[in-house]
Amino acid sequence: MKTLFLKDMRYRQARVILTTLGITVLISLILLLGGIMNGMRIQARQYVESTGADVWISAEGSGGAFIGFSMVVEEYMAFLNSGPGLVPDSASPLVFAQARPTVRGKSTKAIVVGYKLGQLGGPKSVLEGRMFTRSNFEDYRPEDPVPYEVVVDEKMGLEIGEQITLSNEKVRVVGKAKSLMFVLDTPLLFMDVRIAQKLLLGNTPHVNMMIAKTNKSDQPAQIASDLDALETIEVRTLKQTLTDIIAYYVDEPMKAVQFLRVMLWLAAGILVGMITYVTMLEKTQEIGVLKAIGGSNGYVMGLLLKQVVLISTVGVLLGLILSYVFAAAAPIFVAIHFVESIIVACISFIVCCGSGYLAARKAIAVDPMIAFRGEI
Amino acid sequence: MAIVVEGTGLTKRFGSGDATVVAVDSVDIRIEESELVMLMGDSGCGKTTLISLLGCILTPDDGELHIDGEPINPEVQDLSVIRREKIGFVFQLFHLLPYLTALENVMVAMDLARTKTTEAENRATKLLTQVGLSERFHHRPAQLSGGEKQRVSFARALANRPKIIFADEPTANLDSRQSDNLMSLIQELRQEHQTTIAIVTHHEGLKENADRVVQMKDGRILAT
Ligand SMILES: Nc1ncnc2c1ncn2[C@@H]1O[C@H](COP(=O)(O)OP(=O)(O)O)[C@@H](O)[C@H]1O
Ligand SMILES: [Mg+2]
Repeated sequence: MKTLFLKDMRYRQARVILTTLGITVLISLILLLGGIMNGMRIQARQYVESTGADVWISAEGSGGAFIGFSMVVEEYMAFLNSGPGLVPDSASPLVFAQARPTVRGKSTKAIVVGYKLGQLGGPKSVLEGRMFTRSNFEDYRPEDPVPYEVVVDEKMGLEIGEQITLSNEKVRVVGKAKSLMFVLDTPLLFMDVRIAQKLLLGNTPHVNMMIAKTNKSDQPAQIASDLDALETIEVRTLKQTLTDIIAYYVDEPMKAVQFLRVMLWLAAGILVGMITYVTMLEKTQEIGVLKAIGGSNGYVMGLLLKQVVLISTVGVLLGLILSYVFAAAAPIFVAIHFVESIIVACISFIVCCGSGYLAARKAIAVDPMIAFRGEI
Repeated sequence: MAIVVEGTGLTKRFGSGDATVVAVDSVDIRIEESELVMLMGDSGCGKTTLISLLGCILTPDDGELHIDGEPINPEVQDLSVIRREKIGFVFQLFHLLPYLTALENVMVAMDLARTKTTEAENRATKLLTQVGLSERFHHRPAQLSGGEKQRVSFARALANRPKIIFADEPTANLDSRQSDNLMSLIQELRQEHQTTIAIVTHHEGLKENADRVVQMKDGRILAT
């Protein structure tokens, strides 16, 4: 009777369903947390990669762009325009600063990206509307009037012509750019570097960093390390910058989440093990009888393991599906990595089956003599 | 007549030190083919322990056991094989699997012995009809009376054509009418299958059905 184990499971339906759902929820949470972290990694990279810059130049001692506090004076960086290994005139000033604009009356988190149109640092075109007006001077001149205009992330839901408040000044939305949300769905506000300096950096001639392209023929790593040797600046390649940014914005703050994922795994394992064990305790008499009437340990083990494997398979598969549903419905950007989710599902399956197996092994050790006694 | 089960000097102790109980004490017993033996004695005298030894569920501390002429050596043999191939069991508390129908409960015994499902179903159908349960194939144990459950147990015990059936107090949980019916069923089944049966009971009234009565006291068999 190939279906013996199924009949047993149907008899204990409620418990089987609850166990399966328990696994489903735990697995989907494990996958969802992984998806959140993966989403953060994707968002941590996407802006940085979109700039097309090969080297990232920050103030000496800042620990790198995006990591520590970095201010450099653009004028002093003029030497980069003829810098060894760099594409001539590719060095671009960049303000990258956290801000809290008021959007439709609500204080909102955002990152202001101030750059020079036509140079590196932000989008070259918009999806809708137009680019902000480019300041027509090259030097820092705070007294010059510049229109306060911003290009917003399309996902912010703002309309062209709307105004937001930034550092007590009204800034008009003139265009929408392709979404490049930063970590945890933080929208980017693109504006002219001069306005960013004026509104966010206290009207100083500083920018946060310079970015530049390297000559195709040279190794970015070599150029970066040559430049880094200079006293006043720290220079990192794109690759190093991405590593830094992911470590700083994702991996370090998410250590607790990683720990939680391991705990959830443990919980899933304990859940299956415990419920299998409790079920086995209830079945002691049945197992004893099966053994008494000639069931080998292998036969009884097979019966129990088939149940464990079926519950684990269904639980894990449903968890996998549910995690994608959760991901789609989540209020933040979640990107479940398909291959990773398959690996996680496999590991979860092994954890569940393993603990079920341990419980089953304990259960089949029951003495068949129990069949002669009424106890338990 | 061939000897189906033979135990010599069988001894089983439980516990250790001062608390040691000698449940079965140097028992010699032989059961012949087609015989119906009744094992009687006071509660705690070792009846269940003895049939567990003879039925290869317990291993003796001392003594030897032959079943169907073959010596049993628990050190090298998997006793579960002997139990499913040569022995049938009937328990006082029936011990049918609650999630299976009468038919499936009989089929399980054959499933243990890896009998094909269709073959098992045919035999289970036949056996249940023989024990008078042709109307109860698809009933679960919870839907059967005590007497009916015990009939299913006998059908299950017979499933693998055992050399001997051990029944431990099969009538203890039945009323007197049910227990009389069961005894007449056992007689019919013996006619049909020539099965050897050893029944443990303390119902004096059942004695008359036996070919032989074995009396036990304090783990020993009394001379008859
Ligand atoms: N597993 C056990 N552990 C300790 N003592 C046991 C065990 N099984 C049986 N005994 C003891 O062995 C004796 C015989 O028991 P049993 O064979 O069940 O008697 P009966 O079936 O005749 O009532 C009793 O004294 C009982 O308490
Ligand atoms: Mg007893």
